[in-house]
Amino acid sequence: MTYKYFLGCVIPGRLPYLEASARKTFEKLGMKVGDQANYSCCPDPTGAGQLDHLTWLALGARNLCLFEESNSNILSLCSGCTETLKAVKYSLEKDNKLKEEINSKLNSIGKKYKGNVEVKHFAQVLYENIDSIKKKVKKPLKDLKVASHPGCHYLRPSEIMQWDDPLVPKTLDELIEAIGADPVDYSLKIDCCGNPVEKSNKDISLLMLENKLKSMKDAGTDCIACVCPACYQQFEFNQKEVNKNSNTNYNFPVFYITELIALAFGMNAEEIGLKYHRVKTDEILQKIS
Amino acid sequence: MQMVNFDFKNEIIKEDFSLNYCYQCGTCSSICPVAFASEGEYNPRKIIEESLMGLKSLLIKEQKPNIWLCSTCQMCVEECPQEVFLTGIFESLKNKIVQTGEKYPEAFKVQAKAIIDNGVAISLSPPIIRRRKELKLPNVESADRIELKNLLKATNFEKKININGDR
Repeated sequence: MTYKYFLGCVIPGRLPYLEASARKTFEKLGMKVGDQANYSCCPDPTGAGQLDHLTWLALGARNLCLFEESNSNILSLCSGCTETLKAVKYSLEKDNKLKEEINSKLNSIGKKYKGNVEVKHFAQVLYENIDSIKKKVKKPLKDLKVASHPGCHYLRPSEIMQWDDPLVPKTLDELIEAIGADPVDYSLKIDCCGNPVEKSNKDISLLMLENKLKSMKDAGTDCIACVCPACYQQFEFNQKEVNKNSNTNYNFPVFYITELIALAFGMNAEEIGLKYHRVKTDEILQKIS
Repeated sequence: MQMVNFDFKNEIIKEDFSLNYCYQCGTCSSICPVAFASEGEYNPRKIIEESLMGLKSLLIKEQKPNIWLCSTCQMCVEECPQEVFLTGIFESLKNKIVQTGEKYPEAFKVQAKAIIDNGVAISLSPPIIRRRKELKLPNVESADRIELKNLLKATNFEKKININGDR
């Protein structure tokens, strides 16, 4: 099975160091993942679709077509993109009339969606290669307590995502174990980070984040592991906002799970761009060195 | 007494029949993280109740509860014992709000405008392009603008979402 990356908007446009860690991790696993030109915003399942479902389907289907035309499957670096692309595929597979309607729109740009493309979240592909990950670990992240944040669109709706348990997810914690770290069990693990709510009410969005942070702190975590750039931004950029509002002192380093895997594979902080993190990672690096 | 507006109720049901299955148990509101953080200001059960009653003015004009607070975390969809597709129903209600010219949060417009103009929600800025070079990452080729423009014209996106506020 050949894959090409679907990078989405947030990672290449704001968080390229997360992309670097992902590319290096897949390279190290011996997987050749190509690049696809010409795709657009997935579009955001929390944004554009809320304004016009039909446009969301049409843009999503156009993106699927590009990969289909090049006989590649999609490896998505973002949970939001994964959900959109899987949900568009699901909707068009389930409803032939809708598929015809969308194809009539795609016809205006000379495209036709057939349905021969698989969409996978990068963490799913990592999990499917967990044995190979275990073998490649050079520097186990011993005694590092990691709170995984699966986020919503990695898991739900399970009818569409068809991956992991939507309410008791385990894949990320197993990946964390595979690189020698200790996954932290905390009470609000499956709750939303609050990022999408920022578009309508920042205070409520920050309260949701604070609830998560408190739950992680109570469980004794050292750092947070994400698999979605929207969640990553919420944790990484907004902890200090929470502290300002609520007089707290949260300061958890936030990692993409590929960054932790890359470190366990023996890559150094410089080559994966850890210096770009806002919450400094030095203490964690010391702990695992 | 509040009367059922069958016309509007049927309009919603046409979009998603699963609305009919709701028996107002409240599971959705009890597990909704936004309902929890907002101390009930946001209430998915209530929006479904109003939909079953077809209360158009409350849902579309007054927007009470504020449907835009939904985080789309899909917990309600996952937990609903009646398999009501709540987020799908909410999405079609939001589409109606937007497309009848009622107010909606500015951030959604900003994102839509970025997609219309550049094909992506976030464009690559010069510092990010430099950073990509430092990290030895390949160039990102942006989507064909003309192709996207034509597709968005086919779905009538700009007109539908009243992006220029002229409605």
